[in-house]
Amino acid sequence: MAITRRQFIKRTGLGAGGLLLGPSLFGSPFVRQAFANIGSRYLVVFYLDGGNDGLNTIVPYDNVGGLRTHYNGQRGAGNGGLQLAPGSLAVPSGGGVPPMVDPNTGAQLGFHPGLIGLHNLYLDGKVAVVQGAGYPDYSLSHETSTIVWQTGNPTFNSLLSGTGWCGRHLQSAYGPTDVPGVTIGSSVAGEFRQTATSVLTINRVRDFGFPYDDYEENDEPAKRDAFAAVYGEAAGSTNPKKSFLGAAGNSTLLSSESYPPLYGVYTGARQSWYDDYSALDTGPGRRFREMAQVIYGVHTGQPGVQARFFESRQGGYDTHADQGRGNPGDAQYDLFREFGDAVELFYRDMEDIGIANDVCVVVWSEFSRRIPQNDNGTDHGSQGPMFVIGGSVNGGVYGNHPNIDPNALDDQENTPYSQQGSFRSTDFRDVFGTILKHWVAIPEPTLLSSILPVDSGDPADYWTVHDFDMGFLP
Amino acid sequence: MGDQNTLLTTAEVRHLLRRAALGPTPSEVDQLAGLTRGQAADELLSQQSKRFRPGGRDFQKAHDKWLKFLVKAKRPLQSRMTLFWHDHFSVNFSTVNDVNRMAEYVRRLHVHALGNFADFVKDMNKDPAMMDFLDTSKNRAAIPNENYARELQELFTLGVNDLLGQPNYTQDDIVQIARAFTGWRYDDNLAYLDTDDHDYEADYPERGPKAIYQTTGGFGGGGSDFTANGEGEPEIDTVVDIILQHTDSQGANTVARRTTHRLIEFLCHDSPPLAAVDAIIAASGFDSNWDIAALVRAILVHDVFYETAGAPVGPSARKSVKWPIDFVVSTMRLLKMKVKGRPAWIPGGDYISLRDHLENMGQVLMEPPSVFGWNWENAWLSSGTLLARYSFARDIVSVRYDNPLFKPELLMSLSLTDPGDIVDAVTDALVVTDQITGTERQALVDYLTDAGAVSSLDLTDEYTRNNKLHGLFALVMQLPAYQLQ
Repeated sequence: MAITRRQFIKRTGLGAGGLLLGPSLFGSPFVRQAFANIGSRYLVVFYLDGGNDGLNTIVPYDNVGGLRTHYNGQRGAGNGGLQLAPGSLAVPSGGGVPPMVDPNTGAQLGFHPGLIGLHNLYLDGKVAVVQGAGYPDYSLSHETSTIVWQTGNPTFNSLLSGTGWCGRHLQSAYGPTDVPGVTIGSSVAGEFRQTATSVLTINRVRDFGFPYDDYEENDEPAKRDAFAAVYGEAAGSTNPKKSFLGAAGNSTLLSSESYPPLYGVYTGARQSWYDDYSALDTGPGRRFREMAQVIYGVHTGQPGVQARFFESRQGGYDTHADQGRGNPGDAQYDLFREFGDAVELFYRDMEDIGIANDVCVVVWSEFSRRIPQNDNGTDHGSQGPMFVIGGSVNGGVYGNHPNIDPNALDDQENTPYSQQGSFRSTDFRDVFGTILKHWVAIPEPTLLSSILPVDSGDPADYWTVHDFDMGFLP
Repeated sequence: MGDQNTLLTTAEVRHLLRRAALGPTPSEVDQLAGLTRGQAADELLSQQSKRFRPGGRDFQKAHDKWLKFLVKAKRPLQSRMTLFWHDHFSVNFSTVNDVNRMAEYVRRLHVHALGNFADFVKDMNKDPAMMDFLDTSKNRAAIPNENYARELQELFTLGVNDLLGQPNYTQDDIVQIARAFTGWRYDDNLAYLDTDDHDYEADYPERGPKAIYQTTGGFGGGGSDFTANGEGEPEIDTVVDIILQHTDSQGANTVARRTTHRLIEFLCHDSPPLAAVDAIIAASGFDSNWDIAALVRAILVHDVFYETAGAPVGPSARKSVKWPIDFVVSTMRLLKMKVKGRPAWIPGGDYISLRDHLENMGQVLMEPPSVFGWNWENAWLSSGTLLARYSFARDIVSVRYDNPLFKPELLMSLSLTDPGDIVDAVTDALVVTDQITGTERQALVDYLTDAGAVSSLDLTDEYTRNNKLHGLFALVMQLPAYQLQ
């Protein structure tokens, strides 16, 4: 008689966790340290893939400081027609709502009309908009710039190459049998890349099972025993490649058994939320849904799940020729609806579970786009806005709106990245550094020595002075 | 210490075929048995085909054509080197979006795979897929695009820094080389300088004599003028010639060192000692003749290639994570299976195409993720990609189809009954017997015997065969050792 997966898991003792792990989870001093750092919190990194046009994301609403005039001049209807009329913008206002005002010029700002979900969260004071995020000697190559952001390494410092800004923390804080991170997608997120520990890649939690042949289901325990034995042996190998594989395969086997039940745990308690995500019928909706299942599982203490770091993404932002204006059916509008609606639902879900204050989402894109427009689109540009979202976030606007005065553009027609002057840019490493210091609780000296060291070079152009206390997290 | 006259052991022959071919199939092992390092290298190098072009109506067809070519390859070294260059001169279909141009790009990789590196780079300069991928075809004076000029130096030849960590070029060198590449267009897979194009006309007066490497490269304060041989094709060819004369902070040839270093990494050693790099360049003359075949031969007769080849997996054994394409192709070759179906697929298990299997493992031919190619070694391994490897291992031996392609009787005797003998036969067929420990072997025996519950198996019984023998093959392909080469 064939046994069911549930019986099988019970029989092989996975419910207890740590079947193959040498030291138990909390027996490892590394892990104790790491858990003490992030505590009961979760960090979600979300990537708008393709280079989001930040200049149509956070838009000057009035003409204080002249921003609206410059915006209209470059994005006017006569030249591709990307201009968003003030009336169409989502401009936060109301009692208790953080002002949405550019700290430098004093101009009132508004969200792209597609960002309804984000606007709703802003009204609740749960969104920090960080303007002008970029890095020195910015690259206009998707590949290069994505790598720069994910590694936190604009100057291609060889000590940091090949590892992600978050991965460097995971490497130092977690052991080889731990699974501190999950990427919802098909490949390990560059932010998490390192060589010390496992980061899962999951498309659907429900389907993340081990691929046993079903010719004879009664043979599954024998297959599992053999697999566990050979990978257990390999994990202790003196050969570094073999031991890495052993640890990775062990974590995969255990996770392939501990993660799929999270679907049932979540839907058992929160079916209507699951249905709400599914009803969005979008990529971001599905990905936040999968993340929510894992977070709920960790929160409710399900065995064998400890993930605290998450990554996912939404593609399609490379709007060279099809960006459109701020109307439904236009590419950027639809992307923003998908993203904003999904992240709002995710936030409400976390709020309903009671852990909104323990979840922080940071949103980035590899670059913004150029202020002059093509025919209905824009080319790769320099700095753009980031978002930090969560119950503990101090909502409001941080960082300066880029200088879109046509006379101020650099020789690539981009708003210049600069660390000086009234239009000072925000180096994205200050944003990640603030999160690592205030959310993951990594001491500043550690950050500066091994995770986000400052640049050398001209202080006007390079990130030589850090600010890991930007204020959007307590 | 050995040299080209050193006789190969059987373990070394297998190592050679794992690393420099497409898996140690029994016939290839026999072919090289009893040869010296030099003879074996010459044998592999003598096997060169003239032409390969994975065309087709759509991407799927082109992809499957290349896969089939690899599984059937009679010249595995050349095919493996083509994969190396595909990663080196990385171009992807997602960006180029044209099967014909991708096929032409792969044809060029194959032609030059063991040819002349200088000619190779010059041909890549004018490859239409490459021109699309790195924007040469969009590079104009009014809107200069430095993409190709940057990657030509950073990835294809010099590297940002030399092996001592000193910078090889400046931003100004990128700008100047980008100027030389303005005005280039292509038509029907042939690149040409568009002298009628108004952008080119606008460029022309600006191009003029221009010097590169005034601060690096060993050319002295004046640098080197790439327009010395005239405008147009001579100009961009001269850029390559100058790059190939560039010397690093120790006065050694920069490109020869970097390319040799990279190739040693690919073939055998994840951190090649500089002394070995220099010895191999000296032995091959690569820094002046740019002969890739001579360079490969020099590596394949050097101790750096064989130093831990005979060792079982221990602390010092240099192991490398198989690329997904190598995992799939060498498995199919060892199992004597063919690529079949449209799209090509494995009958059984998930019922998904081979391309989907490869995509789940993280490597689709003609789809490297970026200009940087694929990330090697441990970067191939995540829970998702490991599960994909395990799924492939399950599916390839699955009997969930009327006419399975997997035929164990081609690989071993089905009259064996002793569990230990059966395990040895299966690990022999997949050539990992000397790569696993006694504990691992025992775990496989325990699997067959249900931990001692049975003492012998009848493989002529269909149920036993389909359950335990097929299960054992899948397990062996899922072994940590089988992911390594």
